[in-house]
Amino acid sequence: MKNIITIISKEFTRFFTDKRMILMTVLPAIMIYAVYTFMGTLMGDMFSPDEDHASQIFAVNTPASIVQSAPMFGLTIQSAGANEIDIIKENIINNEADLLIIFPQNFDELVGEFDSRTGPAPNVEMYFKSTEPNSQEAYFMMTALLDAYKSSLVTLFDINRGVENPDLATPENVAAMLISMLMPMLLMIVLFSGVMGLALESITGEKERGTIATLLVSPLKRRELAIGKILSLAVLSFLSGIVTAAATILALPNLMGGAAEDSINVDIYSATDYILLALIILTTLLLMVAMVSIVSAYAKTVKEAGQATTPLMILVMLVGVSGMFGGGAQTEMIYFFIPLYGSVQSMSGIFSLDYSVVNVLIACISTLVYASIGGFVLTKMFNSEKVMFSR
Amino acid sequence: MSVILKAEGLTKTFRLSAKQQKLQNTKKKTITAADHISFEAHEGEIFGLLGPNGAGKTTVLRMLATLIKADSGDAIVDGSSIKTDPEGVRSKIGFLTSELKLEDFFTPNYLFDFFAKIHHLTPEVRDKRKKELFDKFGINKFAEVKVVNCSTGMKQRTSLVISVIHDPNIVIFDEPTNGLDVITAKVVTDFLMEQKALGKTVVLSTHIFSLVEKLCDRAGIIIDGKMIVCDSLANITAEKPLEDVFFDLYAEAKGGEEQ
Ligand SMILES: Nc1ncnc2c1ncn2[C@@H]1O[C@H](COP(=O)(O)OP(=O)(O)OP(=O)(O)O)[C@@H](O)[C@H]1O
Ligand SMILES: [Mg+2]
Repeated sequence: MKNIITIISKEFTRFFTDKRMILMTVLPAIMIYAVYTFMGTLMGDMFSPDEDHASQIFAVNTPASIVQSAPMFGLTIQSAGANEIDIIKENIINNEADLLIIFPQNFDELVGEFDSRTGPAPNVEMYFKSTEPNSQEAYFMMTALLDAYKSSLVTLFDINRGVENPDLATPENVAAMLISMLMPMLLMIVLFSGVMGLALESITGEKERGTIATLLVSPLKRRELAIGKILSLAVLSFLSGIVTAAATILALPNLMGGAAEDSINVDIYSATDYILLALIILTTLLLMVAMVSIVSAYAKTVKEAGQATTPLMILVMLVGVSGMFGGGAQTEMIYFFIPLYGSVQSMSGIFSLDYSVVNVLIACISTLVYASIGGFVLTKMFNSEKVMFSR
Repeated sequence: MSVILKAEGLTKTFRLSAKQQKLQNTKKKTITAADHISFEAHEGEIFGLLGPNGAGKTTVLRMLATLIKADSGDAIVDGSSIKTDPEGVRSKIGFLTSELKLEDFFTPNYLFDFFAKIHHLTPEVRDKRKKELFDKFGINKFAEVKVVNCSTGMKQRTSLVISVIHDPNIVIFDEPTNGLDVITAKVVTDFLMEQKALGKTVVLSTHIFSLVEKLCDRAGIIIDGKMIVCDSLANITAEKPLEDVFFDLYAEAKGGEEQ
């Protein structure tokens, strides 16, 4: 036990006194934040219309009924003569006008007289520019106005008249759904890359440089070395995971634009949720560390170890993606015994606030068992000269 | 004098990769680096393993230090078997060979403290030992210089000091003066003689005859993995100088092979 602590404290000293190592941990977090924020801003600019923009809407033969209801939709309609049609179209192309509506003469009367048996319905032409958010917006609003007008003519029944907010999903539900879809995958990837960054250096690196041999001739037990390495790597990658995850969570609202700002609210989770989440993350980390350590111990060089862990990374990503599909987490107990998959299902369940504590605990315990098996294998490998001194 | 280290029939065979076969110009799939090596080292003596490059000296010492496992044979080191009690063996010996490296990132001072903890030394013992060894090997000057910035000799001195941090009864050094200047080499040989004077046992390997003549009480000559002679230095050099003895033995061994 004392030896394990000695090993852990050395690994920590190695990490925390090396500016380069810390930078390498913090840098991805900063990158994620910057890239997400940048992407969010970019997408926002691209798809959302200018709030302050006063729409330039022109109409020919404007009927009184439409002009009256326009302010309710936040629209102002300017009248234009039939001779101006071409000029206005030209202006729309040049982004100087947003929308052109051409009503038939005496629109209101025509509509009143219309009988589907006697002939075609009166036609309204609308011209806009779909690549221009302001024009697009004006077109949508105008269509909504005309639709409302149309249904006011023949009312058979109304839907949701006077109902303020028919969507009964609470903001918590919406947030939980979004988070539960994205977070397990993000977490798995972030955790695994943290593990990779540290374990390759700490195991293959030490083997390649011959420094682990110095430990192997000391009275240290191979088991103590394996446990000390796995524990310290798990804690360090947990820390680096927290930093990256925090950056991700902070950047998420920026990525999704204003919409997510109100809905992603971390307050929705209880203490139990957090404890279970921490448990599943820590046990999963131990398993990941064990997996990567075994591969690292086999590899002869850090480069080779990096190549050998890439398939593992892809596997972890695929398992992480599984949390996004299938309509919520699995409920059958058997799934929670599957390494990694059980973890993702647990995370997904916890995030969507729809899980069974027993299943999550099963996932934690079985993951811990797999990690211990991994630790046992690593001990055997530290004992094997073929592995440790292969060149 | 009592036997403190006894090797019996230590044998080690390595598989050769295709690359190695080509490099060594051989069709054999395996190489027997140590072939039934037996010897004894007595308490308070310096025992030397003498042999040309590739003879198998390092392989024998690595087996004694439990870094690699013997295919067959066993060795009892101060009562612990390398087969059944490797940790016991490792706590009783101080082992030095060039493949044991120190982490570049740390300073000699930090590494000393770290290995002191691994050996469960109390802080008082550790500090006393540190002063003693750092003074003797002149490490104080670069005690706070990261290993990466140390010269070869500085690194080797640090490695040596760390290998004997726990004041072991048996010191096993592989080519201890390799790569050292004459002054540092003398510090090392003086240290080994001092260990002997303290009643400790030293096993060293070398291909330098003068070192054996200067230091060793008894010696074993290894050629191609086989122990050809193992006797007191006085007996080995009774008729002719060590160098001549060696060349005769070498010619004999190689001559037999060629026919
Ligand atoms: N891991 C290994 N795999 C394959 N062959 C090996 C291995 N280790 C040693 N050998 C071979 O075993 C033989 C003995 O090597 P060893 O290092 O014991 O020699 P040595 O006596 O220490 O030589 P030197 O004086 O050059 O250090 C050599 O032929 C070497 O190539
Ligand atoms: Mg050698």
